[in-house]
Amino acid sequence: MTDLIASTLTQGFIYALLSYGVYITYSVLDFPDLTVDSSFPLGAAVTAVLLLKGVNPWLTLVCAAAAGALAGLCTGLIHVKLGVRDLLAGIITMTALSSINLLIAGSNLTVERAVDTIFVSAPVMAVLGGLTLTGRKLVVALVLAVVVKLVLDLYFRTKSGLLLRAVGDNAALVTTLAKNKGSMKILGVVIANALVALCGGVLCQEQRSYSAVMGIGQVVFGLATVIIGISLIRFFAGSKVSHKMRRVPVLRFLASPKGTTAVLLGSILYKFCIQIAINAGLPANMLKFITAVLFLLVLVAAGRKGEEIIHA
Amino acid sequence: MKNLKKSVCGILSLGMALSLCACGGQTAGETGGETAGDIPVIGISQYGQHGSLDNCREGFLQGLEQAGLVEGTDYTIDYQNASFDDNMAIQIAQAFSAEDAALMVGIATPAATACYAAAEDKDIPVIFTAITDPVGAKLDSGNITGTSDVLPVEGQLELIRAIQPEADTIGIIYTTSESNSVYSVGVYEELAADYGFTIEAVGVTAQSEVTQAVDTLISKGVDCFSNLTDNNVVGVLGSILEKTNEAGIPVYGSEIEQVKLGCVAGAGLDYVQLGIQTGLMAAKVLTGEATCEDMPYEVIENYALYVNSAALTSMNLELPADLAGTAEEVGQ
Repeated sequence: MTDLIASTLTQGFIYALLSYGVYITYSVLDFPDLTVDSSFPLGAAVTAVLLLKGVNPWLTLVCAAAAGALAGLCTGLIHVKLGVRDLLAGIITMTALSSINLLIAGSNLTVERAVDTIFVSAPVMAVLGGLTLTGRKLVVALVLAVVVKLVLDLYFRTKSGLLLRAVGDNAALVTTLAKNKGSMKILGVVIANALVALCGGVLCQEQRSYSAVMGIGQVVFGLATVIIGISLIRFFAGSKVSHKMRRVPVLRFLASPKGTTAVLLGSILYKFCIQIAINAGLPANMLKFITAVLFLLVLVAAGRKGEEIIHA
Repeated sequence: MKNLKKSVCGILSLGMALSLCACGGQTAGETGGETAGDIPVIGISQYGQHGSLDNCREGFLQGLEQAGLVEGTDYTIDYQNASFDDNMAIQIAQAFSAEDAALMVGIATPAATACYAAAEDKDIPVIFTAITDPVGAKLDSGNITGTSDVLPVEGQLELIRAIQPEADTIGIIYTTSESNSVYSVGVYEELAADYGFTIEAVGVTAQSEVTQAVDTLISKGVDCFSNLTDNNVVGVLGSILEKTNEAGIPVYGSEIEQVKLGCVAGAGLDYVQLGIQTGLMAAKVLTGEATCEDMPYEVIENYALYVNSAALTSMNLELPADLAGTAEEVGQ
């Protein structure tokens, strides 16, 4: 039971990286970015190939994120410089990338147990060597998810971060500030896809495998976590508990959680819904149906606020 | 409305809590057993719902029985189906590990790799089936073994030559992201010349592109099509056959279900047999007679010839007399 909760949380934390990315494009920038379905396996492909070449597992993640950033740059440039609609720009990059992924890593790649991943790398073993592999995976994934979240939160408070948020909310304002909203959009899509590819890279190390089809449905997953997470947070922010917390100085920062916290929770919740469906002991073919029912319940419980998502 | 929300909220939290308890309870029930004995759990993760994969699973269960094991006393089965979703396969495998399964079974490559990853921590043995290229998938060493379903390409080429002595080109459609298919196309290209054929292969990335690929191959004037066990392509076999029947080009299948659906004939594996072989291996691991390391993976090579006479006749083809005795009629 603890194992099950640990491994489900691990999945939730790893996938939170992707959710952050989708949150930036969909919720902050108001840019429905379909690049995700291919930048996710791209990160995994780069990681798998480099791991097999004996590259340091942490360094492979940096490379994965860089590859994702490049993919985002393509989508951004196609949209901003060539004037292609946002959805189509994403589709074009996604389509091209599926070939690139096959070129990089073929259709499947497995990383043998003899190859070190981040979960058995020297620094992790030095600190967490006493834990089981499941335990180490949980802690490493938790640290990654929280660190990336905090970095993003800090970034959103910088000048560049504020401009990024303004592009989604009120693009005209950005122009009046004599800033180019196009370059801000490109920057946002670059960051988002770097995060998505990073997520693919971490998952590849956790699963010791890459497959060309692993990206299918990731956009949908990302959107679902953003919507579920933000609905729950809105529900919470409107609740009496939150109002009471606002009066206590120490708890004030918890009373109105940030968008990144929301999607982190959304990602964890999503993975738990699936795990509950798997464990419900119902006919195996009903898995997706049960998952859908659970999501619906979550959204209804949160007061259907998901439909009216506004920006960060 | 507010009350409704509140009650839904309540029901939801109650439901989640209950399901989590149920997970715990179920796990205890399975590993501990009502008899308080220690019945080992076999976790079966099937990648998706699919004729051949179902046959694998049924065969696997038969194999366990043939080995003299009895469900309920010697083992219990936790069967899950990932609906062709890699992420689902990951979480299914993790659930098996969490319930301390004695053995995990992965049917098809993505299910097997997910099981192998989840098995690492507790070193749970993994048995796979329906993987064409275990070496390519790097599932050929370690605490893992199983059975491989290499297509009987030579048998298929012989069959096509016997039915169409004049044919030159064989068209094949495959999905570029299915490693089994990429591997099989390679085998076809290697062996085709021995039987005087050339291969015209078209790769697709999605199911929606399959019918366009059919048009491409028809326009290139192929003499026949030969199917792999490509999930994407087999999934739309019906619409492929509609186009090829109109063009008067015969399609050969790679397993019994395809020939039933209207392919003229095919040299195909018996997936139930593949499953039985896998079940026998699993029984050895379960009883401690052998470990996965001891047993190299096995390749099933026996195949059968299937024929659909109605489809053959409509193409003005017939089965040579020497094959007529060995081929099994599966058409309606």
